[in-house]
Amino acid sequence: MDVIIQAIINGLLTGSYYGLAALGLTLIFGVIKVINFAHGSLLMVGMFTAYWIVTLTGWHPYAALIVVVPMLFFFGYALQGVLIKPVLEAQREVREPTEVIVVTTGVWYILDNLALMIFGAEYRVVQTSISGQIFMLGDYIFPKPQLYGFITTVVTSGLLVWFLKFTKMGKSIRAASLDRDAASLMGINQYRVYNIAFGIGAAIAGIVGCVLIPFYYVFPTVGVVFDVKCFIIVVLGGLGSIPGALAGGAIVGLIESIFAQYIASTWTELIVYVVFLAVLFIRPAGLFGEKRDW
Amino acid sequence: MALLEINNVSKHFGGLKAVDQVSISIEKGQIYGLIGPNGAGKTTLFNCVAGTYPPTSGTIVYNGEDITVLKPWNVCKKRIARTFQIVKPFQKKTVLYNAMVGSFIRTANPSEAEDRAMEVLKRFNLGSKCNVLAGNLTIADRKRLEIARAMATEPEMFLMDESMAGLRPNEVDETLDEVRKIRDSGVTIFMIEHIMRAIMSVSDRITVIQFGKKIMDGTPHEVAKDERVIKAYLGESYGAA
Amino acid sequence: MNSGSKRKTIDTILKIALAVIVFTLPLWITSPTYLQILIFLLLFAYLTTSWNLVGGFAGVLPLGHSAYVGIGAYTSTVLWITWGISPWLGMWVGGIFAAIVGTIIGIPTLKLRGAYFALSTMAFGEGVRVLTENVVQVGSCVIGGPQGICLPLVPGNNFALFQFVSKVPYYYIILVMLCIAVFITWYISRIRPGYYLAAGGEEPEAAQALGVNVAKYKVWAMALSCFMTALGGTFLAQLTLYFYPKQILGLDFSFELAFIALIGGRGTIAGPVIGALLLRPVSEFTRIYLSSVLPGLHLVIFGAILILVMLFQPRGLVEPLTRFYDWILDSLSGEKKEVRA
Repeated sequence: MDVIIQAIINGLLTGSYYGLAALGLTLIFGVIKVINFAHGSLLMVGMFTAYWIVTLTGWHPYAALIVVVPMLFFFGYALQGVLIKPVLEAQREVREPTEVIVVTTGVWYILDNLALMIFGAEYRVVQTSISGQIFMLGDYIFPKPQLYGFITTVVTSGLLVWFLKFTKMGKSIRAASLDRDAASLMGINQYRVYNIAFGIGAAIAGIVGCVLIPFYYVFPTVGVVFDVKCFIIVVLGGLGSIPGALAGGAIVGLIESIFAQYIASTWTELIVYVVFLAVLFIRPAGLFGEKRDW
Repeated sequence: MALLEINNVSKHFGGLKAVDQVSISIEKGQIYGLIGPNGAGKTTLFNCVAGTYPPTSGTIVYNGEDITVLKPWNVCKKRIARTFQIVKPFQKKTVLYNAMVGSFIRTANPSEAEDRAMEVLKRFNLGSKCNVLAGNLTIADRKRLEIARAMATEPEMFLMDESMAGLRPNEVDETLDEVRKIRDSGVTIFMIEHIMRAIMSVSDRITVIQFGKKIMDGTPHEVAKDERVIKAYLGESYGAA
Repeated sequence: MNSGSKRKTIDTILKIALAVIVFTLPLWITSPTYLQILIFLLLFAYLTTSWNLVGGFAGVLPLGHSAYVGIGAYTSTVLWITWGISPWLGMWVGGIFAAIVGTIIGIPTLKLRGAYFALSTMAFGEGVRVLTENVVQVGSCVIGGPQGICLPLVPGNNFALFQFVSKVPYYYIILVMLCIAVFITWYISRIRPGYYLAAGGEEPEAAQALGVNVAKYKVWAMALSCFMTALGGTFLAQLTLYFYPKQILGLDFSFELAFIALIGGRGTIAGPVIGALLLRPVSEFTRIYLSSVLPGLHLVIFGAILILVMLFQPRGLVEPLTRFYDWILDSLSGEKKEVRA
């Protein structure tokens, strides 16, 4: 029983940063209707930035957020504005142009492989003040880095929800997500809104990068691992749904951690895919998604 | 026997009664109009007939055959064609290609399909534009293509959903002429339209729907004078005798 | 005199010359390295042409097609190693198996739109890969797990067992396969199923109202595409005599097929071939000459090409290349292309 509870704890802690990673993706998905295959790469950029900051200055990884968040926000903003906007404009009448998928994949290939060329393929690790530390509650172990990650997820989600519900820009984002052109008719500069939404999504990916530093290996293709997982989580939870992303993350984390008690981790991967396909067939809108004519 | 019988058809979406117990009877050779304020349930009714979704209750009988649950492609095979309120041309393909998708239902032979498609296009004044990409057409031509493409399936019955919306007055008149010609060629027409003068001038009979319910049916003359219809369109204050 | 005939004559001559060159290439290019590169080029053109039946004509974006390459390779190889069945026969078994799997997966997924379909194919592809990596042996059949399978070398040129010492037979086999695949694509595009498929891919509702059972045609296209793709898988196995899950069932492979088609011109007949012609050399040469110095450079270049093409020629490079070819014909013959009235 104890083992199961520990597994649940681990699953939820892991699931929290999975969910956070998926959060950025679901926002971009939900607003711009774009599959951003470069999401994992943005995470990787955040991670490497945080890595170098921590290694060179000895700062606490969470302090690196000060640099990573704005940097990735602007990077995401620029990416959307320069590369994706022209494609969306050219394909006004198409709801989700496939060309955008290709463009984001191009960005993915470029970012990942530039990192490979510049930094080499080796796996790096950083020792931070919280690496390897644990927090005990009764008999149960809560590794500090993951616990901080959990807290970060809660805080970030809360901020995001507040932003979308109560600020003017947030409301514009929600309006633009419903219909690309209708929003523009109401005086919302929808492309600027998209830029900001993308920037936020990228910034969140960067936050995850920082969260991962204390306990995860840093290497150029780390993004790929998260990419596929995030897509699964986002579909599981429902495109564009924030609670969906978090719930989806928790579910994937729990599946991985609980099944890992009984079978090899390579098989848990398969279970995640099977669950994903099952959800897709039974309820393609996802757990929290709106039923559309998908 | 009526060509198309809509018997007590209802369509509910969750708690919303989009169409509520509507019955309509259309005779062969008629131009039958369907009017009503926005959101009254007209397109929903069309979709039930055309097979986009089945009605929640009620039956639809065409030529004596129950077609209530048929899928859209099978409805088309029964010789009922339809157009869409928001036109859906195959934009990346030529006008001819668009029409051929229609004519292919009558023949599997590509050159025959092409000939028949060209004939239909010429009938609707699109012959000279047969190699233009559908995405490059003006809105009036797109609407014309929508009609021509559906006519290429050689239907007996034609459901036209707001084919004149967004057209200029002279274009509306042209379309009205085409509607009459289609009927004269032996096709029964069931049309939704908002442009009053258009539908009043061309219909043999009209049904008026509001909030999913039929409030009356009759000749255009009867409908224009009916108090319930006037109230529905212009509001209670106009309902004076 | 017919004003277009000089132009048509030059057009025909150029095309015949091209065909002659392509069919006699191994006589001129004898280096096995270059022949191998050409063979891979043709193989990718073939696989992408097969992909195009679903990804181009049916209008959806399959991103997990390597699963079917793998099914073909594993089926024919396992059948041969375990029971001595000739790969030529195993190829067809693999193809049929792939078609069945593709149909089963296709029926529910082809109803999904855009992003959902793409992601579901990705998940399926990755699922097949993970499954294969976890299975080392099933009964008496060796699957090999993550190590993959190494085919036993058969000495000499053995047609029956589909192994040759020289690269030349492989070149001709894949060339013929490619020609057949292109022909099939061309033929389908000209008959009713092709029209219905394209219509259903672009505007499913409108197509349905015109009498097209869109789902049925999409599933048929999927089955055919998976069948043809699997045949290519067997060819790959026999060519390289070694394959493993991460390579033959990998996401990179799936993506490469999709992007070759997208860059060349998805939904066109020449698109996949042109895409392969342009992208494979980039991939191969940067890998050969630069990968030790700058690993991953070819993917950076690949990524840049993807972005540029999508921004400036989203319908693929077939269009501008066709215009360029027309311009060449115009210059050589002094005549302009006839426009059909």
